[in-house]
Parts: sequence; structure tokens; C-alpha cells
Amino acid sequence: MHTKSWHSVGPSLDECIKCNICTSYCPVAAVTDLFPGPKYVGPQAQRFRENGQPQTPDHSVDYCSGCRVCNEVCPTGVKIAELNARARAQIVSEKGIPLRNRLLGRNEMLGKLGHIVPGLANFGLHNSFSRVMAEKVMGIARQAPLPHWSTDGSFGDWFKKTQAQRLKSDKKVVYYHGCATMYYEPFIGKATVAVFEHNGYEVLVPPQNCCGLPMLSNGEFGAAADYHQNNINKLLVYAQAGLDIVGTSTSCTLTLKEEAPELLDMDSDNAKAITNATWDIFEWLRERHELGELKTDFRQMNMVLPYHAPCQYRAHRVGKPAMDIMALIPGIDIRESHARCCGIAGTYGYKKEKYQIAMDVGAELFDFVADQGGDVEMTACDSETCRWQLEHGTDLPSRHPVEILAAAYGLYDLEKRQLL
Amino acid sequence: MSDLLVIGAGLSGLMAAYTAVKAGMRVTIAAKGLGSMHWGAGTIDVLGYTATQPELPVKRPLEQIQSLIQQNPQHPYALLTNEHIAQTLATFVALSKDIGVPYGGATNPGDNVLLPSPAGAARPTYLAPKAQLAGDLSRSEPMLIVGFEGMRDFYPELIAENLTHLGYPARAAFLPLKLITNRRDSNTVQLAQGLDNKEQRALLAAALRKIVRPGERIGLPAILGMDAHITFLAELERETNSPVFEIPTLPPSVPGVRLYKAFRGHLQSLGVRLTAGLEVISTQTTAPNGVPGAVQWVESATSARPLKLRADKFLLATGGILGGGFNSDVNGRVWETIFNLPLTIPQERADWFNPGFLNPQGHPVFKGGVKVNASFQPIGANDQPLYANLWAAGNLLAHSDGIQERSVEGTAVATGVAAAQALSG
Amino acid sequence: MNRIQTEVLVIGGGATGTGVAWDAALRGLKVVLVERRDLTHGTSGRYHGLLHSGGRYAVKDSHGAAECIAENQILRVTHAHCIEDTSGFFVVLPEDEGEYPDKFKAGCEAVGIPCVEIPVAEALRREPLLNPRISRVFEVPDGSSDSFLAAHATAQAARNAGAQILTYHEVTSLIMVGGESDRRVAGAVVHNVVTGEDTEIHADMTVNAAGAWTGKLAAMAGIEITIMPSKGTMVAMNHRLVNTVVNRCKSPSDGDIIVPSHTVCVIGTTSINVPEPEPLRIEPWEVKKMLEEGDKMVPGFAQARVLRAWAGVRPLFQDTYTSGKGRDVTRKLALLDHKEREGVAGFLTITGGKWTTFRLMAEATVDDICRHLGTERPCTTATTPVPGAEQGHYWVGHRLHEIEEKHLQSELVCECELVTRTMIENAARRNPLLTLDDLRRDVRLGKGPCQGGFCTYRATGILHEMKKAGSWEVNMSDDASSAAKWEVAYLQSPGHNLVSDADSHEDNGRAANTADSFNPNLLLRDFLQERWKGVTPILWGRQLKQERLDELIYMSLMNVDHLPDKELSSPVTEFYLFDTTPTAEEVADV
Repeated sequence: MHTKSWHSVGPSLDECIKCNICTSYCPVAAVTDLFPGPKYVGPQAQRFRENGQPQTPDHSVDYCSGCRVCNEVCPTGVKIAELNARARAQIVSEKGIPLRNRLLGRNEMLGKLGHIVPGLANFGLHNSFSRVMAEKVMGIARQAPLPHWSTDGSFGDWFKKTQAQRLKSDKKVVYYHGCATMYYEPFIGKATVAVFEHNGYEVLVPPQNCCGLPMLSNGEFGAAADYHQNNINKLLVYAQAGLDIVGTSTSCTLTLKEEAPELLDMDSDNAKAITNATWDIFEWLRERHELGELKTDFRQMNMVLPYHAPCQYRAHRVGKPAMDIMALIPGIDIRESHARCCGIAGTYGYKKEKYQIAMDVGAELFDFVADQGGDVEMTACDSETCRWQLEHGTDLPSRHPVEILAAAYGLYDLEKRQLL
Repeated sequence: MSDLLVIGAGLSGLMAAYTAVKAGMRVTIAAKGLGSMHWGAGTIDVLGYTATQPELPVKRPLEQIQSLIQQNPQHPYALLTNEHIAQTLATFVALSKDIGVPYGGATNPGDNVLLPSPAGAARPTYLAPKAQLAGDLSRSEPMLIVGFEGMRDFYPELIAENLTHLGYPARAAFLPLKLITNRRDSNTVQLAQGLDNKEQRALLAAALRKIVRPGERIGLPAILGMDAHITFLAELERETNSPVFEIPTLPPSVPGVRLYKAFRGHLQSLGVRLTAGLEVISTQTTAPNGVPGAVQWVESATSARPLKLRADKFLLATGGILGGGFNSDVNGRVWETIFNLPLTIPQERADWFNPGFLNPQGHPVFKGGVKVNASFQPIGANDQPLYANLWAAGNLLAHSDGIQERSVEGTAVATGVAAAQALSG
Repeated sequence: MNRIQTEVLVIGGGATGTGVAWDAALRGLKVVLVERRDLTHGTSGRYHGLLHSGGRYAVKDSHGAAECIAENQILRVTHAHCIEDTSGFFVVLPEDEGEYPDKFKAGCEAVGIPCVEIPVAEALRREPLLNPRISRVFEVPDGSSDSFLAAHATAQAARNAGAQILTYHEVTSLIMVGGESDRRVAGAVVHNVVTGEDTEIHADMTVNAAGAWTGKLAAMAGIEITIMPSKGTMVAMNHRLVNTVVNRCKSPSDGDIIVPSHTVCVIGTTSINVPEPEPLRIEPWEVKKMLEEGDKMVPGFAQARVLRAWAGVRPLFQDTYTSGKGRDVTRKLALLDHKEREGVAGFLTITGGKWTTFRLMAEATVDDICRHLGTERPCTTATTPVPGAEQGHYWVGHRLHEIEEKHLQSELVCECELVTRTMIENAARRNPLLTLDDLRRDVRLGKGPCQGGFCTYRATGILHEMKKAGSWEVNMSDDASSAAKWEVAYLQSPGHNLVSDADSHEDNGRAANTADSFNPNLLLRDFLQERWKGVTPILWGRQLKQERLDELIYMSLMNVDHLPDKELSSPVTEFYLFDTTPTAEEVADV
């Protein structure tokens, strides 16, 4: 497949020395025959792909979950996950996209729809009859951990309503909340605003839309490009003013920074400005801490907290900043999971044919949590779909590290998920 | 903020990190990816062959090192005394026991042990995983080399025929691959993980019991379990009433993965932060102008702006051409990829190779590397350290070709430990 | 000494020789073909794989151009599966502007080469990596051919028509009869280089199709033919940077063609007069020149990973030797009737030409043979597809597609080129096989990024297992009856004819004349060295790193440099050992 940006991702296939390390560490290939492994579908298959062949040569690339363990362990720097994402887009452009994937790719639209009458929507989506129907008609696994719409209003509603109480300051930060915080988990946005303000920052929440990642991972590149361009248009003025754009969804921030521009060949100066202005919240907090600007007036938190760094941190390549910051909290016993992936991989584990694969991949993580003993009351993870999968696989509640931090500042009730 | 940033997660980097954390330092490891340990036999080769006698395996490597150094006074081993090298290897052996992947050597201490290679040659090594040691070719029991039909990375007929030809009696047998896996395709790591399963293990033991003859020892591909391999080995020996050994396979190396995972887990439990996927793309140093400069930080690529990795001290353990520590181009330029340290590699392609792939003298391009002083600090033309807080260890060091000499891991262990001792002392 | 009687003896197993055997056999003649190594060991196996539209010759050699386009259309039918319909661009770079492009267009039109000027934007859409500064693009029906498969398919077609093909049979002398006034070539004595056996082959007509060795062979009949061997160096890149043949629209010169070929693309060539066809040293400036020229057509080309470099020899014929450069000598076919020229009957030489016109060369040759034999039989090759042509044109994804559809991942032996165990077993059983290099030509073993790093060991192990199990013998003989079972058409298909037990038993009965010559360690060493030979001219950067991994595997892990039987050598060991490493002077010249 040759697109204009062959130069950015494509040449990385030339780095492959066939050593098989990626295949050895791939969590998906470890549990299913349907995925022959990153080397096979990545740099190897890529040499056999080309536009306009009599038949699409391969389909197994669709079973890549995009977790990027391969990128992380590759000793030579092949962008395997990106090669796979491109190959999937190629298949979609040749074969079209199933309705199910189109729907899963439109998280924001679903969020908005459900938000109108959330109680009804939750009932409509989560009763067992409709889940069976959704599986039959659309192939969305009936057991998969779909989110619940917030019945307490959206994050946007709350932010508008509380505008008068919000801190005003010379130090300003732009909050990119993403769709999940907006419609399903507004409490994460609230905790985030509390943490920002506690550190003396005024929070700006400009209009924004879905980052487009769900579409990227389902191979709908055209639609994703529109979303990203909209975000550039809406956020550019802030980036140009030198403000940081900080997000709490590791996948959204990754998309704004790198995924969208790289996969979609959006290499304009404006796209670069967004890349350079965007931070994951803990990456940003760690930077504040390194500059001596982070408040550390934490209260004692006596808890054992299994923490799973989401796969997107692998792509951010910033280490594990949430670990770095949570470690500053007195009394907290963070147990770092070295599990490769929770399995859900965005919308991957929602799909009927992939649900069991996702659960098998996640077993490593679920077992790790179980091994931490009976004192564990909750787990933590930065990414929303991973938390839902963690809750699904462990029966324990899961929290965003920013909720932990807000609680450590004495601003947030971890159990009820509300500001104090 | 770390006391020490180790760049590279190969054996030398891990040994250095281990030594430093034991000395009380706060250590971080940043690596572009995983490497070296995943490719080799999983053994610790200290010295297998010398250029003066390329046909004869070295018998007593630590003693032979002395004559090696006479030939090649700048060899990395020349930076250490024999006792010191022996100590570092002892450190490794003790560590290997602690982390559950025990290593041992020849019956006669100080000797190399000859083990069957996957092609059926006798490969000299100094320390091997316990699981390989019953393959010691100085033992008299004939060998039954067992493979699995259709397994693409192991050929028992070839191994048995060559071993027999070399004077080590061996015969070959096959078992169905289905016996140990129901996967459509499996690489060796996946096969090993499958054999962590108890039922699968029992099936294999029962099948082996049927084909082994009294007095034989059994050689199998190195796939006998990933996490449970020591238990499994004991089970197999008990069930078959025969010594059992593994023969390493093509990459990925299961013995190497076992060592890497156990070692990584141990370092993490000691508080070492190891992050793979971080490629160092730039450095901030003070200019060395006759006097040693200093490394202030290095920067790694992220999804957006570079990430600063700060530490008091830095240890470069990125390997050579294969490890990614060096790169090269069509014009014959070879350079060290992070600090652009001076290299002893000839900068003319005409001088890179000797004729023939298996040339017993090796190829000059693979022999060059980073020159260091006795404290493992990279030095410039005036033999002075280039940076006061930079050290280097492992196979990037100049004047040895670890693959040709069969000294890759010995060099990694000895210089990794010694460099960390030097910088923490 | 064995003795064979035949009507036609063809010497040379390249495109031309197999073509002559095919044509003659189709016309009902009794044919034997001998080749000193494997099929396509010579120039046919060492060219860039371009199926010419004729565009390259349109300005300077309209006759050659006309031949090309006619043959191009024929081969697309007769050898469909050996050809990828890539199409071809002639691109005008800023430095190439001038009169040539218009002359080119007119030249194409004059001889009937379909040539359409397309908008630059359209060309860039189809080939996004092309230099955006090109000013004009002409599209012509160039294609990409697999000369290995084509020779096999042609040879198979010849066998099916009754011809006998003997590889690894080297001509030691020509059988000369008659006196001063009626000298005649009556066949040849051939030496089986594997078994050491000699055979007298008596023939009514002997055809010299020895390519670059034409002059040496003719000398055995006391005939002097001036062949000017012209070396062309080619460089293969790790992946296809273009999917269309890209030519510079200017007077032909060094490094002006990029041909997508299977998973790689090849840039060629140089043109240097050399004294001998073998061995050929690749000089550093040649590689650098190819990369620099490639970079002009496809910016970034010089930074992409290079897999390998090799050289072939154009057997350029000239009646009288001049010191002219290779490209100035005509590429027209030359059929030399030695009865007319030197009074030596029974002996024809066919030389010159190019791969694209091999069928035409064969036709001309066999027409002449028939004339000499006093028989009139029309040529039918132009309308007779060879086995496998029914599969249609090659497409690059076909192996991947088949692996996926049939779930053959576990069968992969050469992972880079998607060669399965079945392909190796079939090729080994059906095709005379002496070295792994023969398998490389048959099924592309070891031709990918790792250059045999993983598959050399695996293929050795598999052949050794087959040998031990008695399911395969090294069979250097060839007879029409067993050959018919060999489905060369599917040589390239990963999943075709998965070997069954019955199948392997069936082959046990085949003559095993060289059982003792098989040695796995020699097989391993020869192929490692063969691969090394082709990578040394391009070892830097990524390929140097790959080579170091391959060293780790074969030295540190396998210890193959200390395997037994080091003293053994095969007929090709010496050829592989020829040092292609650049010398100091050569590097200094760059």
C-alpha cells in the first residue's frame, strides 16, 4: 500500500531483521490462532501488499488489537502497529466497513444520543434482550463491558453550571475531556478540574469533538481525518497562544499528538502545533513536579492499589507518569502490573468475534489483581475502556489515577466518585 | 531523578543496573527495545575460539584469556584481572539461582563445557542454564535427540548425524507436534508457554518414556516450559528415568527469554525502573574542550516533544552493530548512535570485510567499537575520558568480536558488573 | 560411456536454450538440452526482469522495438503466469527535457507500441513516491517477468512435448566429424558434474545457446565468434518502492530503469565490457551509481534498505570486435549458420537479443534447423501457452493470499518470501536439485530481507529429513515420463498439492544416482556463502545489522564453522567463494 505518508511509517518495515521478538511478546498471538503475530502481518506481509490487487491478500491483520507491545519490544524500531493500522484501512477501503464498526467508531454520536434520556438509554442498551439482539444483528458481544450513560448530566453541563465557582487565574490550562468523560464519566472531569485548580490553574474547556481514534482503529481513515481537522480548527488558537492542552484519556491525547497526524498524513504546521501543545494529564503533572510546581500536600492514603498502565502509554513513550506521581502520595502501596494488555484495546473487545480473545489476553492482568490479596478495594488505570474491562474481569471498581490524586488532595470521594 | 541511567536492556545493561542498585544507587534503564538475550543460546560464552587456533575450542577460558590479551592487549578482558572476571561470573551464577533460572558449568571447574548446537556441532561455552547441562558432550551416555514433526526450528536427524560424526553417539526420534500444542502455528516461545501446562507436560513425559532406551539421555528443543521449566525438567527426568537436556533453537531464544524475564522482574522488585520503547535521540552535554565534559541529560522520542531523561551518571550499554549502538552508511561511515563517541572501526568499506562468510579471522567491521579507560569511561584521542559522568559496557567495546570469539555474554557480564562497580565506587 | 541419439542438441539452459528446446519439441523433433549448472544459472537468472514494451529501443533501434512489442504481446499469453502486468512509465526529469521525449513518442507510434502521455498528477497518484518534479509521463505496456519460472515453464512445456532436459551436464567437447571440406558437428560429449559420468550425445543439429559462454563453445568447433561480454550490475531493494516499471525518458544509460519484481524492486543496470563471463566483481561505484540514479526517479530511494547486488552478462554479438561501449552494440538477435559462415555443418549459434525476444530467437533457430533437416514444420510457440499460463498474470499478493486462505502459517520455512515446506518438498522431488541455490531459483528461498538467516538452516534440515526418510533422492537425471508429474506451473504456489504419503512413496522408485553426494553441512555452507557473496557489495546500515544477526545465528548459536565435512565441495562451491568484496582501490575510486 502506497500512500503519501509512506515515508513516515512505510520505511520502518525496512528496519525489520526478522528476529521474532515481537511475535514472542504479542499478547494476542499468544492466545489465538486467528492472529499470526506482528511480524507476519506487519513488516512481512507489507512486502506483499499493493493497491488494486485482484484480491485483498490478507485479513488476519484485523485481529491486531493495536496494543503496541510489538513496537515497544522491537529492537530496531519498526512501527509495526502503525503498519497494521494502515493495512486495516486498506482493507476497509477495498471491502467497506461493517455497520457495527461504524457504530463503535462513533462513540461521540452514541454519547450524545444516550445523553438525551440517559436512564432510558442505559436500560435500552444494557438489558439482556437488547444485548443479545445487538450481538446477533451487529456482532457486539453481549457480555462486553459497554459503558453506562451518566444519569447526572454531562461534564459539559456541570462545567457550564459551575462556571461562576471556577478558579480564575493567570495560569491557564485547556482541558481536553474526550467523549467518555463528557457523557459517561463526568466525575473524572470534575476530579481533573479540582486537581488543576488546586494547583492554581484556571481551566478552559473550549468546544471540541471526538479525537477520531475509534474510527482510526476501525480503519475509517476518511472520517477520522474530518474529526481531527475539526479539533485542529477548534484548538489551534489555544495552542498558538502557548497554552497546554491536557487530556485525561490516554487514547485521546495520543490521537491528538501522533496517531491522527501520522496515520492520516496530516503534517501541516497547524497539526504540529496541536501535537506540541498536547499532554497527557500525568505527563503534564510530572513536568510540573520536575519544575517544582506541583503541590504535594497529600493526605495519608492507606491503600493497596494495583495499577495497570494502559497500552497507550507505550505509544506516548513517556514512561509511566501516573506511577511517578501517585508514588508521591504517602501510605499508598502501588502494585504495578506488568501485564501486557487488558485485552479490550479500545473497541476491539466489544466485537463478538474478539470478545473471548480480549478476555484471554486480559487474564494476565486479572490474575495479577487477584494475586494482590484481599485488601485490594479497587484498581487504577488511566484509560476508560481499560477500566471498564478491568471491572468486568475482576469485579473490583477501577479508578482513573486523577481520581486517586484528587482524593489524596482531600477533594474527592473515591467511593462515591464525587467532589467533596 | 535517578543516580544512574542505563541505556540498553541487554545483559551488560542489566548486570550493570543490578550491580549499581545493590550498591545503593537509584537506577533507571531506558531501552529502544529488547535484544541480544532473545537471540542467542542463552549461555554465557566467555571465550570459545581464538584467532590463533580457530579450529580448536578453548578448554579453560579464564586461563586462555591471558594469551588472548597477549595477542590483543586492548581486548576488553584486558581491563580486568582474571580474578575480577571470575568474580563477576560468580555474581551472575549466584543471581541466576536467586531468580530461578540457575546456571552452571563443566564438571571440572574452570573448563568450558561442550554442548550440542542446533546444527549438531559441539559448541563451547562457560556457563549454561541448568536445563542444557546434561547435554555436556564429555559425558558418556548416548543421546536420543527428540524433535517434533513439522516443527520448523529443530531438526533432530541433522543434530544426531553430525554429533555421531563428531564422535558423540546420538540417534534421532520424532514425536507429533500435536502432542505438545494445538496451535496452528507456534514459535518456540509459544510452544514453551504451552508446556507450562501440566497435562501437556504429562503427555510429553509419557511419550518420551516409550521411546527412550535405558542408559540414554534425552535432548529436546529448548521449549520445555517458560515459567515452570525447572519443575518440568525434574518431572521429565523422573518420569523417563533419564537425564534430559535442552538444545537452543533459532531466535527467539526461550532460554534467553527466561533469563530476561526473571532478571527484569528481579530488578523491578529491587526498585529499578525499566522502560523499553524509549529511543534516545539527542543528548545535552557540556562541551569537552581538552577536559572531560559532562552529560546533563539525554532525550528520548515520544509521541510529541522529546522526553528528558536525567541522571547523575550515565552508562551506555547499547551494543554494537547488531544491538543498534552503531549505525553505518554506504560511504563507510560508522558511528555511535547516541553520543557520537569515537570508534575504532575502519571508516573505509574496503577495510570492513575479510573474504568469506565463515572466515575464521572474522571481519574488521565487527571488531571495532568504543575505546574506554580502565574505569570503563569512553576516551578520546588523548586517552582522557570524554565525559566525567559517562561509562560504557558490553559488546560496544572496542577490540573484540564477541560472535567470532564466542565471548558475547562473558564480555557483557564482566564489563557490565565492572563498569557499575567503577561508577558506584 | 553412455550414448544418446537425438535430432537436436541444445546447449544452454537459459531463456533461449529452453525456448529452442520447446519450439523444436513442439514441431515434433527429438530434442535434448544440456546445461552446465541449474536452469537460468547464467544471464537469464541475473537480469532485472523487465518485459520490454520496446519503448527503450524506440528511438535508436526501431527494428528491436518492433520485435519487443510483438513478443511482449505473445508472452503475455503464452507465459501469462510468469509476467506481472505492472505497466511502465517513461518519465521526463528536469534534466532530461529536450527533443528526446517527442522522438520517443513518435518512435513508439512508428512501430506500434501503445504509448499514452498521461498527466503527471495521475502518475503521482499511482506512484506516490515518484519525483514530483517530473514534467511528462508516457505510459507503455512494460511488464515484470520471472525469468526463473519462465525457464522452468518453458522447459516443462518442452518435456511435455518429449524433450529431455539435463542440468548439471557440462559440454567437454563437441563431436567433430568429416574432413577439411565437410566438417560437421555431430553432437557433444557431456560431463555430469555431480556424478562424474560422461555421455556422448549424437545429434543431427547442435545449437549453441550458451549465452555468455557462446564464444567458448564455438571455439570447441574451431570457430571464432566474437562475443563481447558486457556486465550489468543490478541492485535489489528490500521492498517495492514502485509498482510500475519506471524508465527515464532519455537515451538509455546506467541505472535508468526500476523494475518491481515480486516483493522487491530492482534498479539496473551498468554496462561494462568484461573479458570473461564469470566471475564478476561488483564495483562500489556501480552500486552507488544505481542508488544515486534511483534517487533521481524516486527521491528517498538511496536511503531505503538495499537487499542485494548482482551482475549479469549481456552476450553482445558483433561480427568484428570494436572497442565500443556495450550499449552501442546492437541488441538484435544473431543467428549464425556455421555451415554458411565457416563451412561447419550441423551447428547453429543463437545469441544476442534479450529476454523479451527469446521466443522469437527460438523460432528463427528452429526454422533454420528444419531447413537444414529438410523438413517443413510450422512454429506453434506463439499460440501455445506453457503449463501454468492458465493461472493468469502474477500478482504480488498471491502467496500471502494463499497462506491466509489455507492457513499455512505453520508451513512457512522462508518467512520473508513466504516459502512453505510443501513448496520445498515439491521442488526438491520434481526438480534436479544440487544446492539450496537451486531452490532459491525455484521458489525464492532466502531472497528476502534476512537473506537466508533463518531458512538456510530450516531448508537444510527439511531436505536432510526427506533424505533420511527415503522420500527424496538427489535426482540429476530427467526423463519425460516422470517429468510430466512435476507440476511446474504451481512451483510458486505455497499450498498447491500438499504432499501426501502416497505421493512420497511414489517417488521412492525414482533413480537415485547421486545418493552419496548429498551432505547437509555442505548444503548449509554453500548457501550461506552464496548469500554472503551477493550481500557484501551492499553491506552497510540495516543490511549490515541483519548480517550480524545471521552471523550470531550461524556462528555463535549453531557453530556451523565447526561442523564436520569441511573438506567437501560441490561443483558450485568455488563459484560461491569468489570474493565480491570491494578492494581498496575500488573503494578509493568512488
